Amino acid sequence: MKNNIIILGGGQAGVYAAREIRQNDSKSNIKILGEENLLPYERPPLSKDFLLDKKKEEDLCFHSSDVLKNENIEFENISITKVDFENKKLFTKNDDVYIYDSLLISTGSENKKLTLDNNLKNDIYYLRNLEEAKKIKELVSNKNKITIIGGGFIGLEIASSLSQLQKKVIVIEIGNQLMGRIIPKQIADLVQNTHIEHGNEIILTKQIEKITKKNGDYEILLNDNSLIETDFIIAGIGSTPTVKLFENTNLKLDNGIVTNQFCETSIKDVYAAGDVSNFYHPLYERNMRLESYQHAQNHGICAGKNIAGVKTEYISIPWMWSDQFNLNLQLTGICNDYDEIIERGNDINNGVIYFFLKNKIIRGACGLGIAGKIGRDIRITSKLSEKNTIVDKQILSDQNQKLNKLIQK
Amino acid sequence: MSEENWIEVGSTDSIEEEDLIRFDHQDKTFCVYKLTDGFYATDGICTHEAVHLEDGLVMDDEIECPMHQGIFNIKSGEALSPPACEDLKTYPVKVDNNKIFIKID
Repeated sequence: MKNNIIILGGGQAGVYAAREIRQNDSKSNIKILGEENLLPYERPPLSKDFLLDKKKEEDLCFHSSDVLKNENIEFENISITKVDFENKKLFTKNDDVYIYDSLLISTGSENKKLTLDNNLKNDIYYLRNLEEAKKIKELVSNKNKITIIGGGFIGLEIASSLSQLQKKVIVIEIGNQLMGRIIPKQIADLVQNTHIEHGNEIILTKQIEKITKKNGDYEILLNDNSLIETDFIIAGIGSTPTVKLFENTNLKLDNGIVTNQFCETSIKDVYAAGDVSNFYHPLYERNMRLESYQHAQNHGICAGKNIAGVKTEYISIPWMWSDQFNLNLQLTGICNDYDEIIERGNDINNGVIYFFLKNKIIRGACGLGIAGKIGRDIRITSKLSEKNTIVDKQILSDQNQKLNKLIQK
Repeated sequence: MSEENWIEVGSTDSIEEEDLIRFDHQDKTFCVYKLTDGFYATDGICTHEAVHLEDGLVMDDEIECPMHQGIFNIKSGEALSPPACEDLKTYPVKVDNNKIFIKID
């Protein structure tokens, strides 16, 4: 049967869903509606290789227009302003109407903004999309002392890139460690040391009281009365799911769009995937919302299968990475629910991993190492945690013993 | 195919099954794999970002990059999973007297 399938949101989850639907359904019309006038593209390089000029705009797209054309997937650059779930209609501000049989919402997430004096709103820069990355790249070229508000992944990746561009960088973080929302302190401290070794200044546990503009530069007053002078400010203080469009509808929202393990929302024929979805994870027996590359891709694929009628549970183990300087940080599973920690390695040149166990089973692991050094062990950890394997702790803690022996086939 | 382009990598027992070793020759670097049905060779550096695949995980016929989990088919070099999208170059391998050789062009 031929259906109209609309994918609202032109990011990674959306395009992977579209291609997966087409794999399983050759007849239906598939249309992606994206707010950016660009085919879906990779965001991870924006804060790293794009700022460093190692990757260009044309290197970022997931798939060329030919790939989408060959698979008969339409992409339209349009903004939807109203949704009528009852009649299965989407409206633009000009009242153009899009009618769907199945809808996937993959609108992603958006940056939290600092609460500031209105006069300064245009002076603080944020990085989420290509336009913002281009603007930052252009503007920092003649700036020297740059302040980053927020010591999370995005802020630290930008700090690493700007340091490599010979800028003086200050990172201000309100918490008592970097990346505190998900990264264990042991690893965060190693990352902090690396930034300091490269000349970046890291200020923890400080709040911003006031920002004042002075002759084109800025003075940032912190809550301990210290003053920071800077000529450019970038903020990366977290994100929220993009759900404004659905706030006055029947769609169940709670830290994003609530979905079950099949990417189904509270409304029939409406699915959600990627950053915007607060999904049920059967392994952890709870809902969670993830903002990562691997999740956007795999959740999109899972939604695509379910929309095409191939009932599929989403059981992917969370995995994310961050690259800063020559280091690669990876996290798998969940690292905040444990009764035992095991350390593997103590030198970031060979990789350091902390495993988080509960009832002898690995729940998560987080590692840091020179590019590539921890990847295999982190990947094996995902597999072990997926199968709830009880592991030999002595093997986990001994870097001379290969972990692939622990995988049961 | 001239004989002199076959370069000795090492003995067949230098690689465990479903595993790989790194092999450097002149200014090039490779990965040589032992799969259940024989030996294979590819370029050593991931096509996505400059990281060596020697620390990657071999699963069945696939090698997964240790940095961003791009996946390649070891036998064909095909990029199977993003962020890898460019195929990995593969090289012929032969075994002679329990020694592994790869043919470098």
